[in-house]
Amino acid sequence: MSGVAFAYSRAADVADAVARGGAPGAAFVAGGTDLLQLWKAGRATPTELIDVYGLGLDGIGVDGDELSIGATARLSDVARHPFVVDQHPLIAEAVLASASGQIRNMATVGGNLLQRTRCPYFRTAGMACNKHRPGSGCGALDGEDRHAALFGAGSSCVATHPSDLAVALVALDATVEVSGARGVRRVGLSELYRLPGERPDVDTTLAAGELITRVLVPRAASIGRLATYVKVRDRASFEFALLSVAAVIRIDAGTIVHARLVCGGVAPAPWRLPAGEALLIGQKPERGVFTVAAAAAVEGAPPLPGNSFKVELLRRALVRTLTTIATGS
Amino acid sequence: MTAPQAHSNEPTNDHDVTVGYSLSINGGTHPVQDAWIGESLLYVLRERLGLPGAKNACEQGECGSCSVVLDGTLVCSCLVLAADAVGSEIATIEGLSADGGLTDVQQAFLDAGAVQCGFCTTGLVMSVHDMLDTTPAPTDLERREAISGNLCRCTGYGRIFEAIDLVVTRRSGSPAGAS
Amino acid sequence: MSGERARRIEGALKVTGRAEYAGEVRPDGMLHAALVQAEITCGDVVGIDDSAARHTPGFVDQVSYDDARSLAPSTATALIREPVVHFPGQPVGLTAADTLLAARTAAARVRVDYVERPSVAAIDQALDEAYAPAMAGRIIGASHRGDPAVALTGAHLVVRNRYQTAVNNHHPMEPHVVVCWWEGEQVVVHTSTQAVYGTRAIIAHALAMPADDVRVVCRYLGGGFGCKGQLWWPWMLWTLTASKRTGRPIRLELTRAQMFTLVGRRQETVQDLAVGFDATGRLVAIEHDVLAQTSTHGEYCDTTAEVSRRLYACPNVRTLHRLVRTNEPQPIPMRAPGTAPGTFALESALDEAAEQLGIDPVELRVRNFADHDHDADVPWSSNSLLQCYQVAADRFGWAQRPASATVVDGRWRIGWGMATTCYPAHRQPCRVRVRLQPDGTIVVQCGTQDMGSGTYTVLAQMVADALGVPLSQVTVELGDTLLPEGPFSGGSQVTASMFPAARQATDALRAQLAELGMGHDETLADAVQRIAPDGIEAEGAATANADIDVRCMSFGAIFTEVGVDADLAEIRVRRVTAAFATGRVLNPLLTESQHIGGLIGGIGMTLLEQTVTDRSSGRIIGDNLADYLVPVHADMPEFDIALIDEDDTYLPGGVKGVGMLGTAGIQAAIANAIHHATGTRVRHLPIRIEDLLHELPATTPGALPSMSE
Repeated sequence: MSGVAFAYSRAADVADAVARGGAPGAAFVAGGTDLLQLWKAGRATPTELIDVYGLGLDGIGVDGDELSIGATARLSDVARHPFVVDQHPLIAEAVLASASGQIRNMATVGGNLLQRTRCPYFRTAGMACNKHRPGSGCGALDGEDRHAALFGAGSSCVATHPSDLAVALVALDATVEVSGARGVRRVGLSELYRLPGERPDVDTTLAAGELITRVLVPRAASIGRLATYVKVRDRASFEFALLSVAAVIRIDAGTIVHARLVCGGVAPAPWRLPAGEALLIGQKPERGVFTVAAAAAVEGAPPLPGNSFKVELLRRALVRTLTTIATGS
Repeated sequence: MTAPQAHSNEPTNDHDVTVGYSLSINGGTHPVQDAWIGESLLYVLRERLGLPGAKNACEQGECGSCSVVLDGTLVCSCLVLAADAVGSEIATIEGLSADGGLTDVQQAFLDAGAVQCGFCTTGLVMSVHDMLDTTPAPTDLERREAISGNLCRCTGYGRIFEAIDLVVTRRSGSPAGAS
Repeated sequence: MSGERARRIEGALKVTGRAEYAGEVRPDGMLHAALVQAEITCGDVVGIDDSAARHTPGFVDQVSYDDARSLAPSTATALIREPVVHFPGQPVGLTAADTLLAARTAAARVRVDYVERPSVAAIDQALDEAYAPAMAGRIIGASHRGDPAVALTGAHLVVRNRYQTAVNNHHPMEPHVVVCWWEGEQVVVHTSTQAVYGTRAIIAHALAMPADDVRVVCRYLGGGFGCKGQLWWPWMLWTLTASKRTGRPIRLELTRAQMFTLVGRRQETVQDLAVGFDATGRLVAIEHDVLAQTSTHGEYCDTTAEVSRRLYACPNVRTLHRLVRTNEPQPIPMRAPGTAPGTFALESALDEAAEQLGIDPVELRVRNFADHDHDADVPWSSNSLLQCYQVAADRFGWAQRPASATVVDGRWRIGWGMATTCYPAHRQPCRVRVRLQPDGTIVVQCGTQDMGSGTYTVLAQMVADALGVPLSQVTVELGDTLLPEGPFSGGSQVTASMFPAARQATDALRAQLAELGMGHDETLADAVQRIAPDGIEAEGAATANADIDVRCMSFGAIFTEVGVDADLAEIRVRRVTAAFATGRVLNPLLTESQHIGGLIGGIGMTLLEQTVTDRSSGRIIGDNLADYLVPVHADMPEFDIALIDEDDTYLPGGVKGVGMLGTAGIQAAIANAIHHATGTRVRHLPIRIEDLLHELPATTPGALPSMSE
């Protein structure tokens, strides 16, 4: 327990949540697995928690041409839902690689997408961190940087986004539905996240009080079923990714016609690698092609001393991911 | 079941307000009075209700020692707000065995030597029950993954897997393999 | 009975949650305490303003340096009497309040003014200030025999390298806690400690009280591994001070983050090691120089180089320990202190030598077996190391060891490695009381504590065995200074210390019964009813070992199979086969569990565990169990543990310690297996992906089959 108390209430409905969620100090809470962790570490100081867990936003189903996953669906329910397993096992793969059984039973999809970075400077009380307090400095830039970003970082912040699920969802061209004071809007998941720039404390493009209500994923028929998730970590389970890769390809008449390469744990957001994707299109699914695409994908990544190995590790993980898809094993 | 009483539509700085509510634990109703609404379920179980079986070891959901079952689902009670558990059925280690004896999982932990200091043990017993109730014959990978949320610093885990083997064997009606 | 696989006698209480740990004692009116922690790295506290804290609803008291001035000066009280900040996060005050939230809120509102001084955040920032301590643990810090410098010059092969090990934290699952209250001039202290008597002594000294006025209780201890002793004492004393002043019971429980800074650590080491061999593979010289960290307020040095002095036969050996003071937390012993980092260096070097000499690594060790302790030039009380090598090698299948870096299983490169482990066998003074109750049951009492290793059970076994009664008739009471004084739990000494005392007590009890006229074929139950209807008791006492003309050590051999992902360099230990010789094995069930736990602790040290300090601020970052990785269930390899029974006639009862052995040797066994799998020699811990990645060929083994959708 940290030293700052907060008020807590259950939102009556989405409108109530949105109406109150924009107040200074207010924060939505659902599973609580990230927010309460940060609060206990003294690194989040909400004055009011608005519980959105009971708003009935936990449905999972098919909606038209899309798979719809409610924002408060629990990760464990997502991973075993027949629609998810049937349409997009990639989602289940990524979810099951996340956290522990207990945490997956508590954490929600929306909360997972909005979880804060695992950068130890952000998480440790007393450390300088521009994401925690803008202007206080970035300890990781000249300090411990094994977990720092390869892509998208700036001079103010080198933190990475830790979600496994988000990496898979970006690879599947997912969008999120958002409710706010000005109504409901949809935003591509890639566009949900923003780079640190001058405001590293702001992770997303959500306006104050906006609430993610569901995630929508195009059905497999439109983007292909050849996909897998590879997560690299030091310990065999229950660890955030050192880095991860989600890849999706569609093959038509022996050549690749659609490709998504997305990596996790190496950027402030799930990070697409368009240069690698482009080199796959029109090619046969062969190791030589994968190797060339992977090399192009990681080119130009500017590492820090402690994370430079991740450029090569990512290249290899891309080849591994594509090879795994291609061999079906 | 009583809903939290501190609900307010106005953001307030008066966070020291205390509330009363009731929790349904192990089939009984447990009133909680004068509690701050931000207290974790683990804190309320241990400090207010005299149920210390769930252990406080990391307070961050990273060790599983505080595992309880909430509406049929295994959770880390340190990251559940007690007030949010109003209306839910909570099962703790204290309620595992109706007659006060040992469950088959608890007995297997003893038989296999899966207990050392005991501080992680109650959480592990809850996790193993949860796993075997949903997956009666887990594969090696399933069991490794299912209980990897429970850290143990003493046993080296080897005997815990043996305990699981014992339960699986005994539940399937085969001759017990205990020594 | 001794030697039986008896189940843990307190196990049912633990699996049901009914075992009461120190923090679960709930006296009426108990206050909660929280610590105010320093926000600077090094300097002086010049002002403490708690006026804002006092306005916190529920606030009751705040104590700091001024309130501890009257305590007796000692190393234990220095940190709470002298307003000097030695490391970031050091407690500078304590608040007490009606609720935990109020105590923490109040602590956050205490304003502290400092005058900062320049700090040293890492040992390489003050290398020129390194000094050689007189002692490393309980051995002399420096040693010299023969002429190693000359011998190295003439050696057939010299392996000379630097080995480094990281800072580790103990992290027992139970955080440190104290619940205390005063009864007049007497104080009752429930605390998680590896030493109830040691804790009593420090409290009595600090508060200038008769020891009998202090009662320390710890019936169940949620793990310790070395951290639940001295370093906890200062903050515990502040809690006692606050309890006395408020007249209310108080509890202070550390957070997991505080477990990184306030209760000790395994010190990092930088070891320069040179080993020289003749052409037949016999050691001719060892030079082992150890540099390690200690704090600016205390001195501690692991016995890191001790293994180089006596594990093998070698005529020329020089060892040296040096320390650098930094503004980091104080190191203390952690499971397998000294032998864990020391064997990592020595046993890695032997593997390097074996490869260069073209001698099998087991054979090289057999050739250098020490038939006596060459350091002290005394015999071993027993040493079954050769048998350990043989049994473990056979069970592992070592004879089929392939040439290096050729075995591939799917995406895994497979490697095999082995190493030796050892740990000294010590004993402490111990008293045990055995009481025969009127109903014929037995109560055994000893003021030691069960850290989880099985002390309750083995003490019951000793007594049941000696008196010829079933284990179910024996009740054991531990963890209370109202009981006869027992040893602290550390250094794998408790079982060996209890054995002679328990035997003396049971012998004395039998003698009393015989004197009273117990019949030869009479049961204890019948005899006590007939001749001692109020029951009868006897005490035994044993002294510490003073082994001068003999050296007592446990030994073992550890073999590992490691998989390294051929592309991604993820490292997983697949199986471990180990043989341990620890004298007489009292309970194989508990002993095997101890070994497996020790081994996985060593796996953590080798591949995962590292306490990370920010080099500019000196603060520990990632102070949680998501960032400080310890092994999880999914990391568990297949274990095969062989217990080598020894008949050690020198040691009382033939008992040696068990708990440390598995946590040493395993580091080098894994590093050697990684080298076998990949060809890469990593000489620092932990060994991680980045250490192997660039030397692994960048192709996935196996051809990619053609495919179609």
